[in-house]
Amino acid sequence: MLTYLAKRILYVLPVALGVSVFCFLLVHIAPGDPLTSVLPPDASQQMQDELRKIYGFDRPLPVQFGLWLWKAVQGDLGTSIATGRPVAAEVWRAVGNTLLIACLATVIGFVLGCFFGFVAGYFRGSFLDKFASMLAVLGVSVPHYWLGMVLVIVFSVQLGWLPPGGAGPGGSAAWKWDWEHVSHMILPAVTMSVIPMGIISRTVRALVADILNQEFVPALRAKGLMDFGVFRHVVKNAAPTALAVMGLQLGYLLGGSILIETVFSWPGTGFLLGNAIFQRDLPLLQGTILVLAMFFVGLNVLVDIVQGLLDPRVRRR
Amino acid sequence: MSAATTDAIPVAITQPLRSPGYWAGVFKRFKRDKVAVGAGLVVLAIILMAVFADYIAPADPTRSSMLRRLRPIGTPGYPLGADELGRDMLSRLIHGARLSLFMGVVPVFIAFAVGSVIGVSAGFFGGKYNTVTMRTVDIFYAFPSVLLAIALSGALGAGVFNSLLSLTIVFIPPIARIAESVTTQVRSMDYVEAARASGAGPGTIIRVHVLGNVLGPIFVYATSLISVSMILASGLSFLGLGTKPPTPEWGLMLNTLRTAIYVQPWVAALPGAAIFITSISFNLLSDGLRSAMDVKG
Amino acid sequence: MSLEISTEERDRGGAGTPLLEARTLTKHFPLGRGAVVRAVDGVDFQVLKGETLGVVGESGCGKSTTARVVMQLILQDKGEMLFDGEAVGSAALSLKEYRRQAQMVFQDSYASLNPRLTIEDSIAFGPTVHGVPKSGAILRARDLLARVGLDPARFAARYPHELSGGQRQRVNIARALALGPRLVILDEAVSALDKSVEAQVLNLLMDLREEFGLTYIFISHDLNVVRFISDRVMVMYLGEVVEIGPVDELYDDPRHPYTRALLSAMPSMDPDNRTMEAPLAGDPPNPINPPEGCRFHPRCPQAQTVCAKVKPVLTRTGAGARLAACHMEIAGSGHSRALGLEDAA
Repeated sequence: MLTYLAKRILYVLPVALGVSVFCFLLVHIAPGDPLTSVLPPDASQQMQDELRKIYGFDRPLPVQFGLWLWKAVQGDLGTSIATGRPVAAEVWRAVGNTLLIACLATVIGFVLGCFFGFVAGYFRGSFLDKFASMLAVLGVSVPHYWLGMVLVIVFSVQLGWLPPGGAGPGGSAAWKWDWEHVSHMILPAVTMSVIPMGIISRTVRALVADILNQEFVPALRAKGLMDFGVFRHVVKNAAPTALAVMGLQLGYLLGGSILIETVFSWPGTGFLLGNAIFQRDLPLLQGTILVLAMFFVGLNVLVDIVQGLLDPRVRRR
Repeated sequence: MSAATTDAIPVAITQPLRSPGYWAGVFKRFKRDKVAVGAGLVVLAIILMAVFADYIAPADPTRSSMLRRLRPIGTPGYPLGADELGRDMLSRLIHGARLSLFMGVVPVFIAFAVGSVIGVSAGFFGGKYNTVTMRTVDIFYAFPSVLLAIALSGALGAGVFNSLLSLTIVFIPPIARIAESVTTQVRSMDYVEAARASGAGPGTIIRVHVLGNVLGPIFVYATSLISVSMILASGLSFLGLGTKPPTPEWGLMLNTLRTAIYVQPWVAALPGAAIFITSISFNLLSDGLRSAMDVKG
Repeated sequence: MSLEISTEERDRGGAGTPLLEARTLTKHFPLGRGAVVRAVDGVDFQVLKGETLGVVGESGCGKSTTARVVMQLILQDKGEMLFDGEAVGSAALSLKEYRRQAQMVFQDSYASLNPRLTIEDSIAFGPTVHGVPKSGAILRARDLLARVGLDPARFAARYPHELSGGQRQRVNIARALALGPRLVILDEAVSALDKSVEAQVLNLLMDLREEFGLTYIFISHDLNVVRFISDRVMVMYLGEVVEIGPVDELYDDPRHPYTRALLSAMPSMDPDNRTMEAPLAGDPPNPINPPEGCRFHPRCPQAQTVCAKVKPVLTRTGAGARLAACHMEIAGSGHSRALGLEDAA
């Protein structure tokens, strides 16, 4: 187990380094100068040079990368060009909000996905199975930002039940668990849950069908184990893979939330990225992407490790 | 069996019976799949709509009218209503199919070509080359696809070409991975060994024995990415990273109509419905192709 | 056509030179952390012109790796091969030229045919690689199909999945013959076939050997089949040759205890001739950490201290041209059953 752990971590280090190189280069593949967005159009050459020096853009690339990485490791992601505030502070606040909504969505998607997948796999070929499969296809095919809009139209505009956007009443972004705040989470979380639901239900359906096909299930039934026993057995065998898929999906949601947050004006990383893009605030873009990607990488490793704990076969891969 | 002992066999005279090839079987199985055929017809219709947009669309998609802003569905002269600048929605949706389809298909197509070259060569030659290539691919894999697309587009700036480039880069790693794993499987097959034993070089073996057996599965996988690509491309436009107004494009239309959800909610939702129908058709078509080609996974 | 050279013209070394001579062939597969699978460990043998050399041994003994090294699909770590007196891979005999003269038939008849190619295209592939025009290669493929007992009019344009296992293996044989080889390596080529089909294919192989003047290396775990088709037999154990000799001599009077154990494990149709005891005791062989000394000693009923310490070399024994690697056959080895040096002299 320890060697497996070490191997996973050793494997991820070069990937993490590659990710940071990529994020670093993001600013440099951008056309023009990253300073153009903050400079007034009539800025003097001297002013440009000064700013360039302040931001360190005058040094050779590898040196810039080294300095940038060294700072990033210490939690300094630079300064937002648009607002002048430290990027790290902005990103951390936003990441919390995104995680909140992504976790909620994952839980909803996991519960519903498991339910549909289980029903479909258990009653394979039945009407229920076809219905669940259709839902899964719909789930992966729907443009989720559009689904969000449709939900807003139905539940906010037409029915007036739920607020159309924001994180709380009157622009409050506090984490309070009263109805005022929770009601703001429902639509974005439900919208986002559609992304993992389809995939989880597909996975669970395949798992359940596969396990029921194995020889030991008729044997269990023959031994007189009632359906509940079989059910428990299926859950025990399907859980590690289903959990792994769930973990990975949470990672995808961290990225996939961007568009949904824009629809709902949810003050998370997606919203931040939207602003960064709109204002061409490259340090902010770079910092947000870096944090999200690192989260995703870390989550992958975590999923691998948990899976290794649950299922000894995984360790030997 | 007696043929083995006779010397004069009219081999050169009689043409052997042609047996139905692999693709004939695929086509036959595909035809039986009603859902896939239906999805294929929808895709075909959308493609035709995009190609002949100029002839089909009832009005000029860019002609605006301040007097007829945000008309509901069913308004005379505006069968699907009018948008926030009084332009005919139906015509804009028909014309919008062009760019939306283009952004769905072209990045996947380019990524299919590039990813196959990377993956097949890595899978076939193995060793250090494989390790280095696939590790590099893994780095891009460390980003969720939406994030990667937005990061690249965001850095490169708005525009059709930049979106195209970012989406292509997004799709190369998954295609390369599939190509690598399929090729690794095929490479260990005895017929590849037999071909090496015949003295064939790597180029010939890849051309004759590998490509024919790996391109099918890679292609099926790539078709499943078309719907992802469409959704992502429209998403980029939705964020203002794709095409610029007034060009009709479904994602951009959805974005500009967002503020209209209180006035004409169902008109505002139309472009998204168009994306949805197209993406689900591509998905069902891809699923049908996958089972007709009997590709596992 | 360039492939239609008669065997006599190609026989450069003369009848006395073995067609293939393997000298200390060695192939180790690293497993990481210093562990090494000694799949083939210093194997020496000769294949004479026109003979069939049978290779037997348990699974994991290195038979198949030996076949792949001989075919040069895997390159050896150490050792060399002489083909008709010329070193394989030398200026006199390039790898590509060698591969025209040596061919291989694999066990899995389905996996060894490209599912996307018609039968005739699969057979014609080899010749086109060596510069035969496509149309000529196709004609030759159809001719070969007829020679292996498949009506070209019915089979040439079919795909592998439309054929039975026996038919596919005939195609594989035709494919191997398409380059006009002198040596054909048959790696468990009939093992996956039904018994009745196996017999037909074996007869076909014997006919083709006469017709084309072929030499076979016939690898199988089936001792009955090996006895039927071989002129000489080589017994392998954990990557080494333990005994090699003429087929009847070796089967009637095995000198190595491992050969004896193998042969006594052979199923017999004669009820009076059944063995009652389990012929092979001890752990199954593990090529990762082979034992010191004689690799068979942990399972050998006659093992003595010398066996665990000294590695026995292949030594001439028995009546004819037979070699065995056992201390009991080596005069003065220190084994109590071995002849003393003075007795040997």
